Amino acid sequence: MAQSSEPLLVVDDLVKEFRTPEGSLTALERIAFSVREGEFVSVIGPSGCGKSTLFNIIGGLIGGFHGQVTIAGAPVSGPHAAIGMVFQEESTFPWRTVVENVAFPLEIQGMPKAKRLARARHFIALVGLEGFEQRYPFELSGGMRQRVAIARTLAFEPKILLMDEPFGALDEQTRLLLGDKVLQIQQELKQTTLLITHSIAEAVQLSDRVVVMTYRPGRVKRIVDVDLPRPRTLDLVGSEAFGRYTAEIWNDLREETSRGMREAEARVRGAPGPR
Amino acid sequence: MADALSGSPAAAVQTKAGAVLLVRAGIVAAVLIAWQAIAASGLLYRDVVPSLPALARALLQLAVDPVFYSNLAVTLGEAALALAIGGLSGFAVGLLLGASRFLAGAYEPFVYYLGPTPKIIFFPVMIMWFGVGAGSKVAMGALSCFFPIAISVAAGMREVDAVLIRVGRSFRATPLQLLTTIYLPAMRRPIVNGVRLGLGVAIIGTLLAETKLSNRGLGYLVIQTYTTFNMPRMYALLIAVFVLAIGANALMGRLAGPLRFER
Repeated sequence: MAQSSEPLLVVDDLVKEFRTPEGSLTALERIAFSVREGEFVSVIGPSGCGKSTLFNIIGGLIGGFHGQVTIAGAPVSGPHAAIGMVFQEESTFPWRTVVENVAFPLEIQGMPKAKRLARARHFIALVGLEGFEQRYPFELSGGMRQRVAIARTLAFEPKILLMDEPFGALDEQTRLLLGDKVLQIQQELKQTTLLITHSIAEAVQLSDRVVVMTYRPGRVKRIVDVDLPRPRTLDLVGSEAFGRYTAEIWNDLREETSRGMREAEARVRGAPGPR
Repeated sequence: MADALSGSPAAAVQTKAGAVLLVRAGIVAAVLIAWQAIAASGLLYRDVVPSLPALARALLQLAVDPVFYSNLAVTLGEAALALAIGGLSGFAVGLLLGASRFLAGAYEPFVYYLGPTPKIIFFPVMIMWFGVGAGSKVAMGALSCFFPIAISVAAGMREVDAVLIRVGRSFRATPLQLLTTIYLPAMRRPIVNGVRLGLGVAIIGTLLAETKLSNRGLGYLVIQTYTTFNMPRMYALLIAVFVLAIGANALMGRLAGPLRFER
């Protein structure tokens, strides 16, 4: 696959601190990694490692950080036309039909109605929801709604697709199938993707590289190159090579997750109970 | 043996609905009977409780009386204008308070504490500012409905799901686009409920002002019939106002009903 020599997304020496009543809290410490065009990179870490903060910073929704986040060389200083975000929570607009939801970014850009509805239909078909254009989100299942959210972000045609645990609320089986679907789309569109997840299996199944983070303050513990063949079929999930990568990452994470749990318990023990 | 006990669920619902209807009819009938009994009993001074036939006659006379309709039009016009003025300004202020945490902190206590105060005490001030004509009535109605609408809109705005706003921002929507494509549609229900409440208090405010000082409108008519001791006509007017209120409420109920995209 032909790639430009410069990486598309560069995160360099990123530090983010929050001011809390207890003092300054460092959420992210000297995060550094890059994503090349067409790559699928996952960021994985225990709860509390600052993954969502990282997601919001790269997406331009949070500022006030030190260090650099650049896209094709240009620094990120707000929501960027080159970045499309898919959020963890339910994010479809309940008052719009599926096709109106997916056409939303095009409407914001001022595309005329007939044209944007036609383009929206293209992306609806891409995520496998043809026939559901006129339905409302409340009529769909959770997985279908997330597919609508993904289609909507794809309609924005971002250079980088940024996803924060989009399948977090779904059951394991649906996750695997949807992950597979996203992978298909990614391969077809050669879409550069950065996925935030806490599922090791998901990270290994989908990614070219996995960035493993530590517990708070979030640092990059390791970057793992996942050298599995593509296409990544679901049979691959049970294979030995897959298992080795999963074990490797779990080793890194186990330590961080334990530390996270211990610190959380200490916080509760230390805090005064209800009066 | 198939009987009412082992009937289908649909049949059970029907019997229940039938029973409810029967009870409602019974209540209405009881009220009418009691009314007529009191009227005929001579317990109260003549015509304080007019007999049912007298009431019916007065209602019929009212229904064909052009004076009634012209005054009804006056009241409706005043209430509508009051709702428009109070509603639009309440809406604008609600948006400001909902959007800015700072402004909300500064001004919301005023809105909350002034809201429940009876606005009728401001009526003399309204008369001084807007005169004894329709102006002061509209002002009363507008003042009354400003507060519930401002409060509903501000609260509705804050209840909009934060993730929906983030979606809009991530797609680089301008603040105006965020308002029109996300905030307003998301706030449909609180806005409609606020307007429903506002309509009610606008009518109340207008009518009350008319009863205090006016020479037009339904409130004025009620006072006039009272001072001339035309009791049957007064009761007929009260019933007409009652029906007006129910009608307005029912209309808003239709508008506020389940929207297409809700369960």
